[in-house]
Amino acid sequence: MDPFLLTVWIVRLLFLGLLYLFLFRIARALVGDLRAAAREPGAELGRLVVVTSPAGEPAEGASLALDAIATIGRDVNNAVVVEDQFASAEHAILTFRGRAWYIEDLGSTNGTFVNGSPVEDVVPLGFGDVIQVGQVRLRLERPRVAASRR
Amino acid sequence: MTAGARRAGAQLDLPAILGPIRPRARWRETKLLAVVAATILVGSVSLELTRHVADPGEATGLHPANPLHLAIYLGLLGVAHLVLILSGRRMDQILLPTVAMLGGISLLLMERLPQKLVVQSFGPWRLGLGDVQLAWLVLSFVLATALAVTVRSDRWLRLYKYTWAAAGVVLLLATFVLGDEVNGQRLSLTLGPISGQPSELLKVILVVFLAGYLSEFRPLLVEESTKVGPISLPPLPFVVPMVAMWAIALGIVVIQRDLGAALLFFTVFLSLLYVATGRPGYVAVGVVLFVAGAFVMYQLFDTVRVRVDIWFDPFRTPSTTGYQIIQSLYAFARGGLVGTGLGAGLPTVNGNLPIPEVHTDFPLAALGEELGLVGVMAILGLFLVVVERGLRIAASAADDFRAILAAGLSLVIGTQAFIIAAGNLKLIPLTGITLPFISYGGSSLLVNGIIVGLLLALSDRGVEPPPPPRRPGRLARLAGRGRSLAVGS
Repeated sequence: MDPFLLTVWIVRLLFLGLLYLFLFRIARALVGDLRAAAREPGAELGRLVVVTSPAGEPAEGASLALDAIATIGRDVNNAVVVEDQFASAEHAILTFRGRAWYIEDLGSTNGTFVNGSPVEDVVPLGFGDVIQVGQVRLRLERPRVAASRR
Repeated sequence: MTAGARRAGAQLDLPAILGPIRPRARWRETKLLAVVAATILVGSVSLELTRHVADPGEATGLHPANPLHLAIYLGLLGVAHLVLILSGRRMDQILLPTVAMLGGISLLLMERLPQKLVVQSFGPWRLGLGDVQLAWLVLSFVLATALAVTVRSDRWLRLYKYTWAAAGVVLLLATFVLGDEVNGQRLSLTLGPISGQPSELLKVILVVFLAGYLSEFRPLLVEESTKVGPISLPPLPFVVPMVAMWAIALGIVVIQRDLGAALLFFTVFLSLLYVATGRPGYVAVGVVLFVAGAFVMYQLFDTVRVRVDIWFDPFRTPSTTGYQIIQSLYAFARGGLVGTGLGAGLPTVNGNLPIPEVHTDFPLAALGEELGLVGVMAILGLFLVVVERGLRIAASAADDFRAILAAGLSLVIGTQAFIIAAGNLKLIPLTGITLPFISYGGSSLLVNGIIVGLLLALSDRGVEPPPPPRRPGRLARLAGRGRSLAVGS
């Protein structure tokens, strides 16, 4: 083969190769990013914002950080304590499984509602959904981001 | 001293740009830009070599095809990089190199196409296609860098969402009344010496408005208080803007005959609605509305019918309406796996280019022929990276407005790339919109520069914190009223 044509083809393929080298380096950077985000210590998984609370405990507008398992009820041992005459002692439980939030009613007297419909069994939640426990309404919000990332 | 107090103090001083400069290294961006520079250099050499194959009169040309263009473009990237370093802000480091790669490919392609496709004269200079595209690329990157460095607050976008929406509608109406008609489409607007395509700017305005609207009313949109048969809808006042959005998209088709823009706007609207509410049901309703609207349009308007008929069978009218898309398919076929090499494709038909609008509507066909399947996959991969970065910026945004804004801006680019790429490949009906960053065109490049600048600014992790949520307005209180608590036993 003509050495000149050979050079031409080598340069052409080198161009395509460099394009893919670029994509490969980006892919590596992205994977690194994702791993770093997953490793981040103390990253919270979501927040509950109090929408209405007639009894004032928790206070309206308060924002509560959530762990992977958070119980809601009147009893002081719950992660989220609601002081409300229509809430049961152990009312509902919020769990973060895999990549999403779920809520389960713990056999409360007045039931738990998500966006106005009663919770039977386990219901998946999205950010922005409003949970109602007794007269207290709480909105699930996306977690706050740690500001210390590179 | 808290960050807020320090910022308040800084505002009383000189403008921030005159203050002490605290550079922050961006090694990842530096390395990626080095790869970009190498790639564009090799591509340019490849282009020059191919010219020598076609015309082997001179000595072998192992040098860039147009050293001046290359130097200006790479210098521009260097300056943009330096400015971002000097700004000392913690911005995304992958977006700029990705866009720089797309712009570089665009520059190579425009240098390679016949320069007489676009000729503009400025005094003694006559600028060809490559020169003009380079000028627009420079302006676009300057705009992106300037926005990235100077935008420190999103109040001007957040607070005036209805003003922006009104501006968008005015722009649309102005195009309809004052626009220049080309091929039965009114797309471009000329005001004095400035001429541009408002629908390009309109897509940014749309995203800003939707981000403001959806983030403010998201909790209400998620509620299902209106029941229409088996379908639960959000409170009725909030359905109206969505229907209005659908009507505007159809209006663009009817009035402007601009299918591409309508498709883009509606797709972005549905995507953002899903991003904000997470309800697939809304998207399903939107798709049904879209299909119904498309069917009516097909029955009523020749433009739409012609486009769809070409899509079903371009070979029925191979020398008239189906001509472009058939030539595009031939070009992809000639390209094969690794392509013919930059500069070696595009055989002419009777001395003319096979695809008349190759530099605006069909750049992907030209690249598909010259870089092959491998090259097209890489280019689509680059668009995917832009979307990924945007969604990543959205995921780590401080509040809903910024999240939806970032997601929307990147989805505009991704959706637009998909619509035109799929159109060129006869996957969906062809609509004439630009391939972001690659097509020739000033409006398109400038607006994409704005998008990149805003995305970079949004990705900064030290910006002003979002304002506290405002009290719900009258409508929101109305919708919330009457939802009484069911007190059980």
